[in-house]
Amino acid sequence: MPPRTCGLCNNARAMLKRPKTGQQICRDCFFYVFETEVHNTITEAKLFKPGDKVAIGASGGKDSTVLAHVMKALNERYQYGLDLFLLSIDEGITGYRDDSLETVKRNQQQYDMPLKILSYDELYGWTMDAIVEQVGKKNNCTFCGVFRRQALDRGAASLGVDHIVTGHNADDIAETVLMNIMRGDIARLGRCTLICTEGEDTIKRSKPFKYAYEKEIVMYAYFKKLDYFSTECIYSPDAYRGHARVFLKDLEAARPSAIIDIIHSGEAFEVSEEVKATQKVQQTCKRCGYMSSNDLCKACTLLEGLERGVANSAITDRARKKLDAEGPAPENLRTIPFYHAPSATPNIAIAINTP
Amino acid sequence: MSESCGNPAAETDALMARRTKFDRSRDCVKCKTNTGNIVIRHAVYCKDCFTPLQITKLKRTLEPTINAASAAAKGPSRNKLRADGNLAIGISGGLGSTVLLDLIARCYYSTDGSTKTKGKGGTKHPRNNESIWREARVFYIEMCGAYPESASRDRTDEIRLIVEKYPAFEFCPLRIEDAFDPAWWARVGGRSPEKEHAMGVNLASEDLLLGSVSSPTGSPCAALRAYLSSLPTATATQSAIANLTRLLLLYTATSTGSSHLLLGTTLTSLSIGLISGVAVGGGFVVREEAGEQWAPRGGTSASAVKIVRPLKDMGMKECAAWAWWNGLAVVGKENVSGGRQGIGGLTKDFIVGLERDYPSTVSTIARTCAKLAPKAAASERCVLCERPAQKGVQEWKARISIRSVRDANTDASQAAPPPKLNPPHDGHQLPPTLALTPHLCYACHTTFTSRSSRSAAHLAKGVALGAQGGPVPLPAWVASRMHEFGSGGDSAGHAGGDKEVWQGKQMGAGEMQAVVGEFLLEE
Repeated sequence: MPPRTCGLCNNARAMLKRPKTGQQICRDCFFYVFETEVHNTITEAKLFKPGDKVAIGASGGKDSTVLAHVMKALNERYQYGLDLFLLSIDEGITGYRDDSLETVKRNQQQYDMPLKILSYDELYGWTMDAIVEQVGKKNNCTFCGVFRRQALDRGAASLGVDHIVTGHNADDIAETVLMNIMRGDIARLGRCTLICTEGEDTIKRSKPFKYAYEKEIVMYAYFKKLDYFSTECIYSPDAYRGHARVFLKDLEAARPSAIIDIIHSGEAFEVSEEVKATQKVQQTCKRCGYMSSNDLCKACTLLEGLERGVANSAITDRARKKLDAEGPAPENLRTIPFYHAPSATPNIAIAINTP
Repeated sequence: MSESCGNPAAETDALMARRTKFDRSRDCVKCKTNTGNIVIRHAVYCKDCFTPLQITKLKRTLEPTINAASAAAKGPSRNKLRADGNLAIGISGGLGSTVLLDLIARCYYSTDGSTKTKGKGGTKHPRNNESIWREARVFYIEMCGAYPESASRDRTDEIRLIVEKYPAFEFCPLRIEDAFDPAWWARVGGRSPEKEHAMGVNLASEDLLLGSVSSPTGSPCAALRAYLSSLPTATATQSAIANLTRLLLLYTATSTGSSHLLLGTTLTSLSIGLISGVAVGGGFVVREEAGEQWAPRGGTSASAVKIVRPLKDMGMKECAAWAWWNGLAVVGKENVSGGRQGIGGLTKDFIVGLERDYPSTVSTIARTCAKLAPKAAASERCVLCERPAQKGVQEWKARISIRSVRDANTDASQAAPPPKLNPPHDGHQLPPTLALTPHLCYACHTTFTSRSSRSAAHLAKGVALGAQGGPVPLPAWVASRMHEFGSGGDSAGHAGGDKEVWQGKQMGAGEMQAVVGEFLLEE
């Protein structure tokens, strides 16, 4: 059988079949369309303006490794005029972060970007190892997720950046749309397909890989010879997300456009006005100043439980009642430093490792 | 402690105690005296309480759509339910529609066929002598024409026997190939294009160029088969059949002066429909999936028919219990060939499995979707599904997945020029009269154009997707509408473990290749 020619340029020999479109194309065309689609996503949403300081949330995994590479390439090619930084969070899980942080440090050298690593220990006084020791085998990912989100914002604030880009890809977003429908989380369903989320005084968070298929990200890393660390959780306690993920993979196998079709669906609807009126108004945490739906933000609530020895107080009603019965929090309770939005002067002075 | 599973490797001590399927006791939560006969989402009901509970659920869903004010009222005014038109019930032969037929007959019709409501007073009392709907018809669409390869049987007579048990209902059989039959189209009041101008679509390119069908004198069944066999995936075939069924019912119901079209969609099947609708890109019409008011193009709201799903609060389990306890015979639906490989079949398996482990899931899905609304106003109506369509669908598709140089949006300022791409072959700038694409919603365009990896390979070899046989016929309403565009008119054409353990390992080229290997072509 004669070699097939690229379906886009019609010149070179086709090297791959695009998971997203099924087109058979050559390597150069793949790089070009992958990068241009990300560029289209960025420009259509007007994510950046010249002079913006942008932190790339870097874990050392495939998405963030490719994101750093593509952001640097597009910044130079299209003259975005961005100051790019790498921002990593060290959760304090022995044996897990060490290797992937090495990848991030290599990226720092390769791409000549300043890197900042912020640890849970540094910010909350607790590592994930210590948290797991106290909360046991269950629910520890609740702590990890809540702490990571806030840590990224605080790390970005300390860098003086006003924008974080993360490596969430199309598969992640489609999976989240399905999961939010299935568990009835209408608030998250309304915002999970937004490319950029921003509170009144919080740091912008964007997902330039919103329309990039996970398989294409791996393909890009493969052809560009980028190395990364696989960071799959092999005993995921979030069974519900696991169900949604398996289902999504089945849908993708049946019809590859399913991922993008789900995102299109998610973008086409919104929470109806009557329901919006009943949703909670965003406020700031009275203890640490971070955005919150209640008097205390989730991180402060979790931390208080840890500090007072009732770690599940933010998870189960029973534990919450037990904590309430013990009276108000003692004044000498260890708390998270007060959060200042990037417009204010950052009060967390942490040295940045420059390449 | 649960009994041994027979596996000597499993220690009895390691097995968790089986979780009870109900919350409190085995007694009925409603009457609190009888021993329960069924568990519905952790609540126990006895047989005596189950029946009125299901009737209440049905009325709570249906009656506000007939006459909202009366349905909400209490006392004598409640009985003044009066619909604007006739009643149409769609029956597939499946569990839901069989139960629906029985429930409607019990609640609103007496055994001799007259309509009655269950108010106080004798049969001559004016309150009990008024019809909610003037006439009631049951529509059945015979599907065997869509599955010639499975040699499926014609179920029309079996369904007729079931419907004839209810004298109030007139049985009206249709066939799925009627969608391509000019005679049916004329019967429902449509204007047919002349035969020599029979219009078809070429599915070889994403523009879906229109053309003349080579053999317009072929039978409707042949046209249906040509249409279905040209579709690129099992998902597309399922979506197309569901769409043809829906439009056949709607057009026929409208032509018979029906104000209500009742479907036997259960809570379970509604959830399946909602999730699969989202998965095929139909998020913009997620509300219509649960219930819609539809009128033909150019029709007034007075001629609109409301699609109501009165069983949308009854799960599959409740329907099965109703059918079993009332001795209803369920004919069964056609088994769709290759259905499990499509998004609809996969979603069904997923939701039914999820419902077993998380019984509230189906109800949560339906309630969540009921809180959604389309983000923007509809630009027009899709010519294929006749539902609202969004603006800018093709631009969105071109932006997020580049398929040609025109989509590439080249920028003169870029440092690295793009590879030399071939010229655009698609025709977004084509006059709208020449292509179907500008008239389709996202989901319908995707039905025609989205291919599986396998069909894409076939396409490369030039052996699939109608490319070999020229344009394929279009359903009557689409051909009629596109013919109007072509003739320049735009008027209406129709009247385990839970520990969080992370494992980090460097991904080598070999492992990356394993992930994407199926997409790499041989060197």
